[in-house]
Amino acid sequence: MKLNVENVSYSIGAKLIVDGVSLGVEEGSFVGLVGPNGCGKSTLLKNIYKVYKPDSGKVFIDGKDLAQLSNKETAKEMSVMQQENNVEFDMLVFDMVMLGRYSHQKMFGTDMVSEGRIVKDALAEVGLSGYEERSFLSLSGGEKQRTLVARALVQKAELVILDEPTNHLDIGYQYQIMNILKNQDLTVFSSIHDLNIASCYCDKIILMKAGRIVDFGTPEEMFVPEKIRNLFGVDTEVNVNPHTGRPNIVFYPQ
Amino acid sequence: MEKRKTALFPLHKESHFLIFCILMVCLMGIAMFTAMRMGSVEIDPDTIQGILVNKLTSREYYPVTWEYSLESIVWDIRTPRVFTAFIVGAGLTMCGILMQVLTKNSLADPYVLGISHGASAGAVSVIMYGYLWFLGGYGTMAGAFLGALISITLAMKIASVRKKITATQLVLAGIAVSALFGAITNLMIYHTKTGSDKVKTASYWMMGSLSGSSWEKLKYATIAFLVCFALIMLLTRQLDVLMLGDDVASTVGVNTDKLKLMIILLATLLTGVIVSVSGPIGFVGLTFPHITRSIVGTKHRRLVPAAVLVGGTFLVVADIISRVIVAPEELPIGVVSAFFGAPFFLYLIRKGNKKAGG
Repeated sequence: MKLNVENVSYSIGAKLIVDGVSLGVEEGSFVGLVGPNGCGKSTLLKNIYKVYKPDSGKVFIDGKDLAQLSNKETAKEMSVMQQENNVEFDMLVFDMVMLGRYSHQKMFGTDMVSEGRIVKDALAEVGLSGYEERSFLSLSGGEKQRTLVARALVQKAELVILDEPTNHLDIGYQYQIMNILKNQDLTVFSSIHDLNIASCYCDKIILMKAGRIVDFGTPEEMFVPEKIRNLFGVDTEVNVNPHTGRPNIVFYPQ
Repeated sequence: MEKRKTALFPLHKESHFLIFCILMVCLMGIAMFTAMRMGSVEIDPDTIQGILVNKLTSREYYPVTWEYSLESIVWDIRTPRVFTAFIVGAGLTMCGILMQVLTKNSLADPYVLGISHGASAGAVSVIMYGYLWFLGGYGTMAGAFLGALISITLAMKIASVRKKITATQLVLAGIAVSALFGAITNLMIYHTKTGSDKVKTASYWMMGSLSGSSWEKLKYATIAFLVCFALIMLLTRQLDVLMLGDDVASTVGVNTDKLKLMIILLATLLTGVIVSVSGPIGFVGLTFPHITRSIVGTKHRRLVPAAVLVGGTFLVVADIISRVIVAPEELPIGVVSAFFGAPFFLYLIRKGNKKAGG
C-alpha cells in the first residue's frame, strides 16, 4: 500500500467530522473519494496532508508514519493540489511553479539551471510552455489550475492528493486536468464531485457519508442506483459509456 | 488561445535589478550628503567633507578652516541623524514586508496594525516608571519590544476570523489597537510630566521624530537592523512560499509554525528598536514594499534589499523636508511621511475594492 490511513478521527469543536476512517491506496492506482457536501471528505484529506492533526489514528506513506516526518520530508513523499488559492501578491508563472521545488532545494548551492529545466518540463507537461514569463493572476481559471498541477508535479512526490481540484472549472478544463494527472506515473487520491468523471478516471472509488466510509470498490461496483440514492438521495439510471466502457450515470429529476 | 504578454514588473533581468540597486545606493548617498548640508545652518560641501574625513581618520587630514561649532553640528548632530533616518526607514520597510507576508495582505504594516503605538506605549512606560532599570541603556528598547509584542498579539487576534485575515478586519483591528495604545501613552505622559514638557514628549511618542538621534542610539538600532536583515535574507525562500497561504506552504515543505513565530519575533524586535529611537513613524512600511514590489517583483531575495534601499532613502529625504519646510522650526517627520503615505493607503484600499468587485 502506498497510502494507509488507520482509524483516523477528527472533530471540530464538539462535532465529530471524521469518524474512525481506515483506508488504503495501492501504488500506482487512481482512487476517488466520493460523498455529499459536508460528509468530511475535505477534512479527511486535510488530516492526511497534515493541515489538521488527527485526534486519534495514524497515516502512513510507504509504511512511514507521517506524524514523525517533517514538513519537508513529507513534501517529498506527497504533493497536494487544492482549489485555486487566493494569491494576494502576483508572481510569474515560472516562479510560482518553482516554489514547488522548495523541499528539494538547499539554502546555498542549488543548481538553478537544472531546477529551471524541471520547471519548464512540468509546464510543458500541462501544456503551458511559453507561459513562464506570464503573470499568474492574469491567467484564466483553467490555466491557473494547470499551473498548480505543474507545481505539484515538480515536487516529484509519488503520491498526489487532490482536494476538490476541479470544482469551479468548466467541464473542458475538468477533463483536461484529470487527463494530465492520469498520464503521469503517479498514485493519485482525489476527492471528486462529478460522478461521471470519477467513473471515467478512477480505478477504485471510496464512498463516504457522515464522516465514515460506507463502501469501496471499482466504479462498476460502486456506481449502482441504490448506492447513489443512499449517498445523494437522487434517482439514477446507470448504463455503460460506449466510449470508455465505464459506468455512465444518468440523473433523474424529481 | 491568444497569448497576452503582461508586464508584471519591469526589472526581470538580474542585471537590471543590480543596476537598480546601484542607482538606489547612489541616490541614497546624494540624499544623505544633502541632508548633512541642509538645516538651520547651511554648511558648504568642502567643510562637510573635511570634517568627516578628519573625524573618520582621527587625523587633521584637511587643515581646519571652520569653526568648532560646525564640527559639532556635522559630526554630533547631523551625521547620526542622517544615518538614523536611513536605518529607521529601512527597518520600517522591512517590518512592513514581514507583516504583509504574515497576514498575506498588502495593507499590513506596523503603523496600520497599531504595533508602532504599542511599542511607543512600552517605551514610554519604561521611561516614566523606570521598571526595567536593570537593563540600563537597553531598557527603553526592551519596553518597546514588549509593547510591540503585546499589540501584535492583540491585533492578530482581532483581525483573524476563522484563521483568515480579511483586509477590513485588519484595518479595524489596527484602528482599535493604535487608539488603545495611543491613549495609554498619553495617559502615562499626562500623569507624570508637567507643563510644556507634556506636549513635547506626547507629540514625540505619537508622531515620531528624529530630533533625538545620537550615536549611542544609532549604534543599537544599526546592530538590530543588520542582525534582522541577515536573518531575513536567510528566510527569503520560505517567505516566498508563505505568500501562497499557510496550507500550501506547509504542503510544499515549510514548517509554517516555526516560520511565523520567527517573523513575529523579528518584526516586533525591529519595530521595538526603531520606535525607541524615532517614535512611531507611519506609512513607510506600507508604501515602500508596495512600490518596490511593482518594480522588482515579489521574490523576497530581490524585494528585501531593494525595498530597504528605497525606504531608507525616502526617510532621509523626508527628514530633509521636515527640517527645511518650516525652518528654523522642525516638523515631526511623521507628518511628512503621512502626507506621502496616507493618500497611498487610500489608493491601496480603493484598488483592493475594485479587485473584489470585479
